[in-house]
Amino acid sequence: MKFTDYCLSSEGAGVILATSSDEIHPPENIIDGRSETFWTTTGMFPQEFIISFHKCVTISKLKIQCYLVQRLQIEKSISKDPVDFEQCIEKELLCKDGELQMEDFSFPEIQATYLRVIILSAFDAFVSVHRVIAEGLSQESSNSIF
Amino acid sequence: MVKLAAKCIVAGDSAVGKTALVQMFCNDGAHFQKNYTLTIGVELLMKTVPIPGTNDSVELFLFDSAGKELFSEILDKLWEQPNALCIVYDVTNEQSFSNSAKWLERLRIQTSGIHIPGVLVGNKIDLTDRRVVERKQAQQWAEANGLEYCEISVKEMENFEAPFHIVANSFHRLYKEKVEIFNSLV
Ligand SMILES: Nc1nc2c(ncn2[C@@H]2O[C@H](COP(=O)(O)OP(=O)(O)OP(=O)(O)O)[C@@H](O)[C@H]2O)c(=O)[nH]1
Ligand SMILES: [Mg+2]
Repeated sequence: MKFTDYCLSSEGAGVILATSSDEIHPPENIIDGRSETFWTTTGMFPQEFIISFHKCVTISKLKIQCYLVQRLQIEKSISKDPVDFEQCIEKELLCKDGELQMEDFSFPEIQATYLRVIILSAFDAFVSVHRVIAEGLSQESSNSIF
Repeated sequence: MVKLAAKCIVAGDSAVGKTALVQMFCNDGAHFQKNYTLTIGVELLMKTVPIPGTNDSVELFLFDSAGKELFSEILDKLWEQPNALCIVYDVTNEQSFSNSAKWLERLRIQTSGIHIPGVLVGNKIDLTDRRVVERKQAQQWAEANGLEYCEISVKEMENFEAPFHIVANSFHRLYKEKVEIFNSLV
């Protein structure tokens, strides 16, 4: 058994919508598997982005690495199109000066074809989102000899 | 290239010329409103300001607020999470200047400790012989309160773009500074 991060462009994930975009810090930076690169918001809150998986995936752990995010809401959809979102998380985050926020959310397994992340408010005028990680047991490797 | 968006609150006493200023700025000096129409609540206007020397721009969402409502609660809700402040007073009206402190105080409550760019604007400098607030006095007060300062005459179309260029540039600078910090996190 092996955990896979589905929130990677290399796994077929994509960012299909983002309310802000700086050419130097595009939303694709969220799913490039690197914490150094990030997406910035460039204006008023709320701000959001939607990640699409290449198929319906089963997630048991969600992580987000960001900075200056105050109130966060995460929704998921199991539709073929990015509609009918259901809320799965709403949380008030803490933030330490100069430290990346690393938030972990665990839940009984959820299914999703899309994840929608909404930043409702912030500790400053702008925030950065460095990574979203959506881990689940990989189907393909579950019959391996390990 | 980045396009920033900022919620800019325009506040100050009644009849100091906030609406005249915002309208003039948004229609590129095409029209000066001679007749006074009191603003009720907030009127929202938008204008994109290019940042000199870059391909970047700031979309200013200008919240032209009613001056009559200094003591009402309607404004507080509409003012939530502002990004920039523009406080206007009338250089021929001493009270409108001293009330700037009250407007600022009330706006600062909205920003919950976050530093946001702001500018104090002295309007109606065309009325030279009726002037009662001196530039030096206003400038000192602005500085002491972390605001930039400029003087304008909307009527004579003098310097009327300056307040918004000041806040747009400050907001852009703030963004660049934040990105530096984001870059240093990992
Ligand atoms: N002489 C002179 N008059 C001006 C100038 N700018 C505005 N006015 C006049 O001042 C009056 C009030 O202007 P408004 O822009 O409506 O004032 P306001 O601050 O929006 O007032 P409220 O909406 O009640 O808060 C109008 O009659 C304008 O024509 C200026 O630069 N010089
Ligand atoms: Mg008005």
